[in-house]
Amino acid sequence: MTVALQVLVSGLAAGGVYGLFAAGHSLIYRLTGIVNFAFGDLVGLGIFSTLLVLAGTSPVTQSGAHEPRFLGALLVGLVVCVAAGIGTYFGLVQPYVSRGSTIGWVAGTAAVAFAIRAVIGATFQRSSYVFPDPLPFHRVGSAGFVDLGGAHVQARAFFVIGLALALALGSAWLLERSRFGRALRAVADDVEGARVVGVPVDLLVGIAFGLVGALAMIAAIAAAPGAAVNANTGTLLGLKGLVAALAVRFGPPLSAFGAGLLLGVVEAAIANVHLGGWQLGPEYREVLPIAFVLLLIAFWPSRDALEEQE
Amino acid sequence: MTAAALTRTGTELRRAVTEARHAWNGEAWLAAGGVALAALVPFMSLPGVRLDALADTVYLAVAATALGLTVGAAGLPSLGAGAFMAIGAFTAALLVARSGWPVEPAALCGTAAALTAALICGIVVRLRPVFVAVSTWLLAWLVWIFLLAFPSVSGGSQGLILPQRTLLGLVPTPTVHYEIALALLVLTATGIAAVRRGAPGLELSALRQAPPLATSLGVPLARRRLGAFALSAALAGLAGALSVQLAAVADPAGYDPFLSFKLLVAVLLGGAASTLGPAVGVAVLGAIGLASGPLARLLQLPLERFDTAVAAVLLVFVLALGGGGIVPWFRRVFRRPSRKTKQVTVCYSSDPEVPRGPALQAQGLRKAFGGVVAVDGVSLELNSGEVTALIGPNGSGKTTALRLISGAIPPDAGHVVAAGRDLTAAATADRVRSGIARTLQTTSAFPELTAIENVLVGRSVRRRHGGMLRTAVATPHARTETAEAQGASLEALALVGLEHHAHTPAPELTSSQRRLLALAAALATEPRVLLVDELAAGAAPDELEHLAEIAGRIRERGIALLLVEHNLRVVRLAADRVIVLAAGKSIAEGSVEEVRESDAVRRAYLGAQRL
Repeated sequence: MTVALQVLVSGLAAGGVYGLFAAGHSLIYRLTGIVNFAFGDLVGLGIFSTLLVLAGTSPVTQSGAHEPRFLGALLVGLVVCVAAGIGTYFGLVQPYVSRGSTIGWVAGTAAVAFAIRAVIGATFQRSSYVFPDPLPFHRVGSAGFVDLGGAHVQARAFFVIGLALALALGSAWLLERSRFGRALRAVADDVEGARVVGVPVDLLVGIAFGLVGALAMIAAIAAAPGAAVNANTGTLLGLKGLVAALAVRFGPPLSAFGAGLLLGVVEAAIANVHLGGWQLGPEYREVLPIAFVLLLIAFWPSRDALEEQE
Repeated sequence: MTAAALTRTGTELRRAVTEARHAWNGEAWLAAGGVALAALVPFMSLPGVRLDALADTVYLAVAATALGLTVGAAGLPSLGAGAFMAIGAFTAALLVARSGWPVEPAALCGTAAALTAALICGIVVRLRPVFVAVSTWLLAWLVWIFLLAFPSVSGGSQGLILPQRTLLGLVPTPTVHYEIALALLVLTATGIAAVRRGAPGLELSALRQAPPLATSLGVPLARRRLGAFALSAALAGLAGALSVQLAAVADPAGYDPFLSFKLLVAVLLGGAASTLGPAVGVAVLGAIGLASGPLARLLQLPLERFDTAVAAVLLVFVLALGGGGIVPWFRRVFRRPSRKTKQVTVCYSSDPEVPRGPALQAQGLRKAFGGVVAVDGVSLELNSGEVTALIGPNGSGKTTALRLISGAIPPDAGHVVAAGRDLTAAATADRVRSGIARTLQTTSAFPELTAIENVLVGRSVRRRHGGMLRTAVATPHARTETAEAQGASLEALALVGLEHHAHTPAPELTSSQRRLLALAAALATEPRVLLVDELAAGAAPDELEHLAEIAGRIRERGIALLLVEHNLRVVRLAADRVIVLAAGKSIAEGSVEEVRESDAVRRAYLGAQRL
């Protein structure tokens, strides 16, 4: 029971971040029919830009951040992330999508992903970094951990879960109600139709490309001080978002978010749950969900919208 | 018996030599010279050349050349070639290091493991190419994360240390590995070149350019694409299994997803459209890697990060410059445009036995889209050697009926029977093989192919020896069949009057010629029943008689021809029998005159009011 609670809370916290990546992947797929392989790395770029402004490339201690400076750094990171996302769309996605060249945008987004990884890896050469924490979670409970019915959980986890939920529900509400959101849904339903009635499709999709990165980045930064970060952090988050989005076949962003939450819990369960003396163990945590989704898409029933059609 | 077989083998060999001599050109001399020179490198004692690094690069070139088949010929964006190398490498390494196997069977098992992974992961080829990218990307990360998470398998940060074993009975010095890698590269490149030039290459190219059109001509989409994908992966697995013996250690760090990306960059940099491109791309990347070493030291950057960044930037440049790559660019610059205008001689096959009687029966076909019943209980019969026209006002269900008969969409109710078989549930390719062909209303030609190549795509469904492996080694059967296919395709072109445009690229034909080309491609599948959607759409009035004449020629060959037509003049000129549809129901059937006199038809076309 205590293990279950611990798994649930830490799983939901990780899953909240995955969920925002999943929602972003799903929205982009629905808008353009493409998968942004650089999504995770674009967010990683934002995270490390924030870290660079906050503390340079030196190793950081938890107490290194003060709020005004942190907000400034976060803003810089968000601007970098959004600008890089929009740049990727107009430079390497839109030209090839409009030409019908799949290989073009696949190779282009993969190039962005590996280029960002190289730049982060060359600038931050240690194997991992501690992200500074502006919020005094370490003062809650005993050094940031609280006891909950016998379970020992990070106080930060509740904050991350709440923030991720708020971001997901808030953006879903905007997608439903705002002019911008309605226009995006029109593009997702029928690109040509939207174009004909005067929706500036490329501009909106470009902005969406940047904004989904910003949303995911806020959640990732909220969770970042809880664990060490390195050049792979963004990439892996993007990968897990993709896994979750695929599990719901790039369904509506909110269900992709739900799949992300579930993925977090499943990963925590794989790592920690014993079933009658039998345990999978942490080494299976990342491998199994990816393998499962690989098989899932291989055996998707055919004759649907994903297939080549006339 | 043996003597006869020997004579036949001799004849075939002589034929093959003659063909090779005809195909031999400057470029072939260049390639042969290059290979000979490369084979001598170990014996030239060049200063500063590390043979083991060179051998490793050649193994990488094998994997890249194989990837060229997937990316260039099949148009599938694979981000996982390195994962297949890793699977081959670690399977072989485990068998050698842990189970004490000799190298050769271990390498074969590595190849088989990569092939198996490709067959599972590659089931997605039937979906849009996006999903091939997604699936291979996931695989690349899965393999790497797996290797990092399970040090018991991968040997952890030290990797798996391999004992030295003989390779093909030789002590595995770098020289031996280099020569083996080079031989493997030559075999891979010539095999893939043959596949790309031959029938499977044509089918892959057709599937890449216009999947629905290729499928309608009976090209098995999933099988062909999966074949190319799996062949590439198996070769990558073999290259991985051998290169790991050369390194004498299987190190997980070498199989980062960047390896897959690097292979893709090599393919696109060298030119996916050419067989030699990927190997050239690997060479260029290797040279840049060597040159960038001092620069990286100067900037105090870790070399591996620097290489990654350089590869990514190079790729973006290649894409921005149009994505052609080095080899195709060289060809454009250095080769004079010499379009060989081959002499066209049409040799008609001896008159086939012209069949008579019913060729296809459709009973009670019904299809509703949501609440709209597009086709409501249509039954019709098509006879060999008869031209039937299906006419009716807009929205009467003509095209839907055609799509039901051809199997493009499944009916809600009813049956389609032809040649004594119920084909209602058969896949399109299966129907085409059973003799039911169809032309599409929208796409009519493959834009990157010439007219005769377009028709050859249709012909490929009748080939029995045109598979990927047979084409790669050019078996006598495969070559005889190629000659036959050429003849039959020319005949089909002649039937629609395009024999003088055989070597014209499809986009240079007029739109009505392209329509005829589509008809020729459908005819090349040797149909018993041919379903034609809007033959006369957009045709000028003076072309109508020509079209009617072609319809007549098709009828003479004993084919049951169904025309779905708006143009009533063509119907009057060509049709033996007319079926009129209105609101999804058949309302009249008979000769042109009979139908013209029918009150029901007048009402359907003109409404209920009297004129």
